[in-house]
Amino acid sequence: MNNFKQNLLKKRYNAERRFQWYGKIAIGLALSFLAVFMFQIFSKGYSAFQKTWIVTEVHYDKELLLIDAESPSKDDLENADYYDVAYKAMTSLDPGLPEEEDRQLIQMVSYKYETEVKDLLLKNPDYLGKIVPIKLTASDDVDQVHKGNYPRDIPEKNRRVNDYQLQIYDMLNERGDILSEFNISFFTSPDSREAELAGIASSFMGTVFSILVCLAFSFPVAVLAAIYLEEFAPKNKFTDFIEVNINNLAAVPSIVFGLLGLGVLLAVFNLPRSTPLVGGITLSLMTLPTIIIAARASLKAVPPSIREAALAMGASNMQTTMHHTVPLSMPGTLSGTIIGLAQALGETAPLILIGMVAFVNTIPGTPVDPAASLPVQIYIWSESAERGFVEKVSACIMVLLAFLILMNLAAQIVRHKFEKKWS
Amino acid sequence: MSEKPHIVKSYEEQLQLLKDTIVKMGTGVEKQLENTIQSLVKKDISLAEKSIKDDELTDKYEINIEEQVVNLIALRQPMAIDLRETVVALKVSSDLERIGDLAKNISKRLTKIGTDLPNDITKNFEIAGLKASKQVNAVLNSYLHRAKDTAENVWNSDEEIDQMTNSNMEAAVKHLEKNKNDIQKVTQLLFMLKNIERIGDHATNIAEQVYFLITGDYLEGDRPKG
Amino acid sequence: MSKIKAENVNVYYGSKQALFDVSIDIAEKEVTALIGPSGCGKSTFLRCLNRMNDVIEICRVEGSIKMDNLELNSRKLDVVRLRESVGMVFQKPNPFPKTIYENVAYGPTIHGIAQSKEEMDQIVETSLKKAALWNEVKDRLDEIGTGLSGGQQQRLCIARAISVSPEVILMDEPCSALDPIATAQIEELIDDLKKEVTIVIVTHSMSQAARVSQKTGFFHLGKLIEFGPTDKIFKNPDNQQTQDYITGRFG
Repeated sequence: MNNFKQNLLKKRYNAERRFQWYGKIAIGLALSFLAVFMFQIFSKGYSAFQKTWIVTEVHYDKELLLIDAESPSKDDLENADYYDVAYKAMTSLDPGLPEEEDRQLIQMVSYKYETEVKDLLLKNPDYLGKIVPIKLTASDDVDQVHKGNYPRDIPEKNRRVNDYQLQIYDMLNERGDILSEFNISFFTSPDSREAELAGIASSFMGTVFSILVCLAFSFPVAVLAAIYLEEFAPKNKFTDFIEVNINNLAAVPSIVFGLLGLGVLLAVFNLPRSTPLVGGITLSLMTLPTIIIAARASLKAVPPSIREAALAMGASNMQTTMHHTVPLSMPGTLSGTIIGLAQALGETAPLILIGMVAFVNTIPGTPVDPAASLPVQIYIWSESAERGFVEKVSACIMVLLAFLILMNLAAQIVRHKFEKKWS
Repeated sequence: MSEKPHIVKSYEEQLQLLKDTIVKMGTGVEKQLENTIQSLVKKDISLAEKSIKDDELTDKYEINIEEQVVNLIALRQPMAIDLRETVVALKVSSDLERIGDLAKNISKRLTKIGTDLPNDITKNFEIAGLKASKQVNAVLNSYLHRAKDTAENVWNSDEEIDQMTNSNMEAAVKHLEKNKNDIQKVTQLLFMLKNIERIGDHATNIAEQVYFLITGDYLEGDRPKG
Repeated sequence: MSKIKAENVNVYYGSKQALFDVSIDIAEKEVTALIGPSGCGKSTFLRCLNRMNDVIEICRVEGSIKMDNLELNSRKLDVVRLRESVGMVFQKPNPFPKTIYENVAYGPTIHGIAQSKEEMDQIVETSLKKAALWNEVKDRLDEIGTGLSGGQQQRLCIARAISVSPEVILMDEPCSALDPIATAQIEELIDDLKKEVTIVIVTHSMSQAARVSQKTGFFHLGKLIEFGPTDKIFKNPDNQQTQDYITGRFG
């Protein structure tokens, strides 16, 4: 008997140890997936925060600029012809190059290099007639070569950067005329067809506007609905039916909401296409049930003794709810809202349907300007062929994750403050 | 009136022990009283001495009951019938102790004056003593069986002992007037007669307590006084 | 003098009857204790007196409950006004998670009792003094009420209840969550309060009922078995069921 008992005890302890190990393995597996994912994103994406410049010299020759005036006005500079000046700035890197081959040099900088030449003079009008050094945005191919993302040992015909360009790049690099700097334009520029110029400003603002619109629509509606259902509505078949349907709504695939937005908001109400306003409203349909469910759960979690206390003091139902129950349920409601918004933040499908997938190369200033959103931007870039967009995708994911983490942090802080105040 | 047992068994046992102790003490006191009276009837002084000696036991019982009662009140906080049970036990034990004391006192006087006493007074003493004895016995029975009627009877018949005592004392004084030499013996006898009456009073007290125990009311006011 | 007179009160939870023909006279400025085993209906009856049963949808009350000739069991009765004059203290101390001051000031605020800040301060102070809590909290009125000890919380709840000067205070096992010292403080408070208000207390502690009340009612299976002076109930109850219950012979 004693032996039997001891064996049983041993078995029990072993079972417990085994169980703990399963748990540890599961967590380890999950963590390693996460680590691989994060490593992938960071290792690919971090270089997108670096921008490659090619330094050369530009001669702001009045003749080539076709400026006649003795002391030219701002308008004169604005209307000057920069084509030749910019062209010369690049071709001067290899004066021996035959004219018909000069495209090879021009292709090493972004197509907007002429604008960059112009902008420098507009900023410093006294450069006129002088020879000054200038930084030009390297083309995405040179950029990728510089970042080491581009394999140099494959046959020339399979390469976007030919042997000649590599030779020039190496020469410049040796002279120290290839610069790597923090890529501010990634954050300040709108989307572009050219990887070296593309930024997330338009999609970031689109996301911010969408979320704000979503919050503005879903939070009040959801909280009021939850309060009514939980505190005032009679408990009968009809309210049960509503409750079931709210739960079902939370499980509806997001693309269905996108179709709804397309069919109702765009077709019936004629709201402007591709705008954060429509996107936000569509997303709010999605977050609505999430917030309602969270708000109801946290209203339910308020101890009945508090309600009793208020009622017994002679407070009306409304006073009991507004003075006591709702404030006490706020931390839970807020965290539910944040979870709903975080879901909406990552949502792509409904936004694609209502047209927020359009190529937008302006930064939206209001919720009714066309815009993209961060997850849609990721989707767009991941579809692009250029190698330069690969790192942009990862960088965009990093920004999106940072956004999410910041939101959750904010939620935690708000929640913490509320809880301190109320209990 | 039969009560259901308590949910807490040890409480039930403690109350039962208290009742049993009262009954045992009562039986002891009864025996003491019987010995005292028989000592005169049978002219056997050793019975009186036994009665004196047994009083120690009675005193011990009283202390024991007091402890039990204090414990019950402190640890069980008895209510209603249990409260009455407890309080009545305390009072009954004190009355029984007094009865024991009085029996002892009579016995002591007997040992002093001997059993060679005037016959007529001794006879009176015997009758009154047996009556008191009967009262004590009856009241103890009423306690044991929770018999309200018996207790009331005891309470009502105390008058008889009172009257007996009065006439007995008168007779004793008359005897003394005729036989001045018996002064010492008769004086002691007067005390003894008075003690018998006091024993009757204590039996009545117990009857009142038993009545209170059973009904929760007091027997008061209209008790026939001699 | 009778403050509350209940006649033939029947309470149903759905199809289940919880109280059967309860009739009781609650005297003014006295403490009435209601005792009985769990589920006997004593709390249900208590909650009829300030209509807290309204919260339970399936609960239905029949019969007449009059407070100073005002019919409490009437649809026309303004429940908010009733609860202003019939306060309640619950089993578990349930102060609002607000400051001590706000807890006490809540009733006077919603009922518009105080006209000015000074008047409100005065009400808060007197209420806390009456609840024997003032000396312990006067320097920290802006602390959260839930941070007090259990006994202090319960006294805060009593202060909150008396802040609107009710005529009746209902107490539903107010000491069941408290230690003996805190219990004694609450009992002392009840003794004090009964000079001004009528108190009805439901308690599981028979010795507490015996200590604080003048009248005691014993409920069993939804019926009021016996009602009478407390000393009578605890010394010599008329009913065998009452006696069995209070002496621990139940079941």
